Formats: sequence, structure tokens, C-alpha cells
Amino acid sequence: MTGPSKPFLNLGRRRFLQGVGLAGAAGLVGMPFGRAFAAEPEKPKEIIVRAWGGSWVDSLKKGVSDPFTEATGIAVRHDLTEDNEIQPKVWAAVAQKRVPPIHINWDTTTNATKSALRGVTEDLSDLSNLANVTELAKPVGLDGYPIVNTYGYVYVLAYRPSAFPDGAPKSWKDLLDPKLKGRIALYNDGIGFHFPAQVAGGGKLEDIPDNMQAAWDFIAKIKEQEPLLGEDPDFTAWFQKGEIDAACTISTNAREAKANGVDIAWTVPEEGAKYDTDGLWIPKGLPENELYWAKQYINFAITKDAQQVWLDGLGLPGVVPGVNPPADLVGDPSYPTTEADFKKLIRISSKVQVEHESEWFGKFKEIMQG
Amino acid sequence: MRPSRTSYPLSWRLMDAVEAIAASVWPRSFSAAVPWLMLMPAAVLVGLLVLGLWDMADGSFRTLDTATFLPSDDYSLANYDRAFTEKLFFTVASRSLIGSLIVTAITLVFAFPYSYVMVRTRSAALRKFLLIALFLPFFIGQVVRAYGWLIILGSQGMVNEALGLVGVAPIRLLYNYPAVLFGLVQYMLPFAVLMLAPALTAIPEEMESAAGSLGANWVRTFIHVVLPLAKPGFIGAGLVVMTLSLTDFAIPAILGGGSQDFIANAIYDQFFRTSDQGMGATLALLLVAVGSIMVGVVFALFGAGTLAMGRSK
Repeated sequence: MTGPSKPFLNLGRRRFLQGVGLAGAAGLVGMPFGRAFAAEPEKPKEIIVRAWGGSWVDSLKKGVSDPFTEATGIAVRHDLTEDNEIQPKVWAAVAQKRVPPIHINWDTTTNATKSALRGVTEDLSDLSNLANVTELAKPVGLDGYPIVNTYGYVYVLAYRPSAFPDGAPKSWKDLLDPKLKGRIALYNDGIGFHFPAQVAGGGKLEDIPDNMQAAWDFIAKIKEQEPLLGEDPDFTAWFQKGEIDAACTISTNAREAKANGVDIAWTVPEEGAKYDTDGLWIPKGLPENELYWAKQYINFAITKDAQQVWLDGLGLPGVVPGVNPPADLVGDPSYPTTEADFKKLIRISSKVQVEHESEWFGKFKEIMQG
Repeated sequence: MRPSRTSYPLSWRLMDAVEAIAASVWPRSFSAAVPWLMLMPAAVLVGLLVLGLWDMADGSFRTLDTATFLPSDDYSLANYDRAFTEKLFFTVASRSLIGSLIVTAITLVFAFPYSYVMVRTRSAALRKFLLIALFLPFFIGQVVRAYGWLIILGSQGMVNEALGLVGVAPIRLLYNYPAVLFGLVQYMLPFAVLMLAPALTAIPEEMESAAGSLGANWVRTFIHVVLPLAKPGFIGAGLVVMTLSLTDFAIPAILGGGSQDFIANAIYDQFFRTSDQGMGATLALLLVAVGSIMVGVVFALFGAGTLAMGRSK
């Protein structure tokens, strides 16, 4: 993992204060830092943030965690437990009125919405920096801010250019090419693929969730191609080891593979690609002081400075206006910035996804395990 | 004259004191309870398991409300209905059951000659080599071994590279059902050998010599003497391999490429992907039931083998 550069470190405390808006609040302007923080609740030694590994946690550390520690003196420990596996632990802790095992969960919005519906999330509506974010930060279909969405991402069609000598694939239907049999990969729960499959199968997005037969028919055709089914790290490994030539995956994984020297490119096919968000949330049951500092961490994560560094690493568009895309992603379809970019993407509300996820997952598995 | 107690060595007096304390804490009249006391830790562990199963049984009758992601307050058989009617669960369950039987059969076939040579060889060096080769895999976890097969059998792995040297194009050796079965057999082999070896050791070598001296060739001796006498070992090894294969998670997940799930993978999905703990509990209990029935059938038909610990069934 790489640490922050020296100048960045030097600006840490100032940037943090600008970010969280503390300097301008409660007459703290001009107050020595020590006294400013003395007015705050007692600082815990550390806060624990659940995160994904690899370039995901590296980026978070560099953009958010290290500056936060620099400014507050509170260490940030990253817990790399899988998001699906931490969820029942947090739910059990809240149900049993125990202190939860983490302070902040970096989670998919869909997963986080489940936790919000279950009532285990703290309300984050009082974060001062929510005044400066775009509407993307607000979870759809939920009251208040049980989750703060922090960026969006696209499930692109990543491909090995040498396997597509005639140029980038234009449609998801290109995956049905017989030469790609056994050479394509999807997520093992089908996430990211259901909605474009609905379009590629001749159906309409408006029919989601009531009639998704077109999606299932298309996925059944894809099954004939004997796809590999895996998770984020698998895609990078499979591209690197020459196991696959194309995959439906989050652009960050494709970008990471490219950074590792794999010959890989990505595109948003004509049917569109799923656009979704990740977010941060705090489980209920934390001591008051720890809850306060966990909120400050999230408040800092939605500042322009933090987002710029964090999301440069991920190659994803944030929720704060004015964040610049990394040089290699300017104009890239996986980094939507304009209305025209977003028109090519498919966004279905988290609430609909959460309510039907189990059913879609079962149907996808039924096809793929058959 | 009797020597004074103070003339005893210090260590004796200390031991007397310890015995006196022990006798006050645990009087001699309690000695019959000692075996039960020693059973206590195991009983506590089994009790905790039963408690967990009871909790899971309660959960299996509750359905998930996707509006609140809480289990329902009322009980129903909806999860069991799904388990018995949804094609996905039938596919995964039948794959696991058939797979565990295939793996058991192949493993026993491979384990027997290994055990036999290990037990009967006159060469101490060969016995040591076989023992080391047997125990070495135990130091390497299941997941690491499965990843090892990815390196060896991958499209750019050692086997395909070797095939490439003789002009054969890369073959997909991984991410299919045979790959999962292969991985399971390799994982289970040491367990089977360890269960078979004591049974073979218990067969007096003179029995085989006697059969030979009465005119039986090696094949007849093997069929009529060795195999029947090795039956307890086969049953014990078969039961262990079958139950471990039936409930395995890592090998199907890693070598199956996501499309060769066993029941354990489906249970994981319900608990951790769809957050449907009721359905996960239902599948887990059904797996326990199916595994127990299979073991019960084997016990009824063939006895408990080496698992009977020397007693007849």
C-alpha cells in the first residue's frame, strides 16, 4: 500500500478541517487545533472501517483514512471482511444490543439498504457536508440518510482486445459468439448483468421487476457459453491467467487489471450497462463518542479533497461537484459526467433491487447451476 | 522408632497437602463420577451444537420479510416447500449426493493399495516415505491445495504448458464437475488411508500366508481374505469421506468456477448473499438430516466398521 505524498500529508489537518466544516462552525475559527478538538467528544484510539481489499482499500486509505488520522490522531483500521459476511455479524450485534464489530461499513447501496430497512443504521442527516453533495449521495426510497452514497460505478463489458480483432464489442449479444465459449465471466450472483440482459433479450427496462422473462432467456443463452462465475478478485486473476476474454465487471477491476499489465479494455454496449452506487453507513449501538467520530469520518469522505484522491484511485465518479476524473478516464464511458453519458446507463432503485434480489439471484443460479 | 513426619522430604509433604486439598474438593466417594466429569467438555460442546441446531430449526420455520429484512413472527413450512420444489436446490443437492458417492468410491480404490503397501512393506524407508507423503497434505489447508490445482491445471498452468510442448492446444481442465471431484478425491485420500491402515494392520499376515499355502493365488487371497477382513476399515473410511465430501464448501467453490455448487455453497448463499437466514437454516438442517440418514443406512447394512471402536454393531 502506498502512503500519501509528503505535501499531501502536510496539508492533512487543514484539509480535514476545511472538509468537515469544523473550522467555520461554533466559533472555532482561529482557535488552536488542540482546543478545537478538546471541545469534541473523547476520541477513541481507533475506528474500524470495513472495506474491500486491493486497490479499493488502498484508495480509501490514501484519500480518506490517512488524512483523517493525520487530522484527528484517531487511527483507522480497515477490516477486510467481505461485505456479505460482516452484515449478519452487525445485524446480530444490534439485535443483541452489543457494540457492533465495526464503526463504519463501506458497502454496496443495495446491501446497505437491507440494513437500513432492518433498522440497524444510524441516521446521517446531520452531516454538514451533505449540503455540498449531488443528489446521487441520497439513497433512493429511504427516509433521511441511513446511508451516504459516495460514488457511482458501472458494470462494464471488459474485454481482451486481442480476442476482438474487429474492434470493441458493441452489444452484450457479442458474448454469444461461439469462439467465446468458456471464455467469458459474470458475477456469481448475476449482479450487474440482469438489467442489460433484459434489454439484450428484447425486453423493456420498464418491465423490471414484474416481467423479466427476456433477461432470463438471454441469460439461458449465455449459460450455453459456459461462463465462469466469480467475484471481484476472480476477474482480475482470470484475465491475468488467460482464462477469459470478456467479463461483465465493475470498471475498477478492469482498470486494476490494466494497471497490472493485462491487455484489457472496456466498453458500455449499446443496450446500456448497470450503474449503481456504494456508500458508507454506521451501525447502531456505538458509544456516543465513537459515533461522533465515525460520523466525522464519513463527513470528511464526502469532501472534495477526500473524494478527489480516493476516487482517483478507484477511477469512479463521486458525489461532490468539481471532482476531476483521472487523466486516463476523461471521456471514458465508465466515468459518466454528462447527461448523455448517463443516458447510456441503467439505474434501478435500490429498493426495487433489494425487494427482488433474492428472487433474481435464485433464478440466475437456477439457470447457471442447471 | 517411627520417624517424625518432619523427616519426610519436602516434596512428599507437598504431595500430601495436594492430596488432602484434592480429597476435600473431590472426596473418594465421588470417584465413580470421574469418567462423567471427563466427558463434560465434550458434552458441553455437543450441547452447544444442539442448541445451535435448535435455534436454526426455529429459524427454518420463519420466512424473510424483504420490506424489513426481519424473519417473520409466525411459523410456516414455506422454506421447506421451497427447498423441495425449487429446481436450483434439487440440482445442487443431487450434485452433492452423487458427487460424494463418486468421490467415496474412487478414494477408497486409491486408498486401499496405498494403505496396504504402507502396512505390509518390509522397507522402513518406503513406509516412512509413504507416511510423510500422507501427512504432508495435512499441513497445507484445503483452500491452499485448491489454489495449487489452479496453478497446475489452469489454461496457462503446468499441465497445459507441458501439452503445449507436444503441440496440443490448451484444454480447459478446471471449472467443471470432474475438476471438483478430482480436487475432492485428492483432499480425501489421506483421511481414507488413515482410516484404512489400522484395519489392515489388524489383519494377521499369517492369514494371507495360510491362504497361499492352501493354494489360493494372490487374487483369491485378496478377494476372500483381505477384503472381508478389511471391511471395517472400508466402512469407517467410506463414512468419513462421504460425509466430508457431501458437506464440502471450498473445493466446489474454487475448482467449480461458480457453476458446480454443492449444498454448502447454496447454504452460504442464503445466509450471506440473500440474507435469508431462514432458508439457509432450512437447507443446513436438511443437509444434516440427509447426511445422518446416509450414515444410518450404512450402519444398518454394514455396521459401523472401525468407527464401532472394536465392538460389534
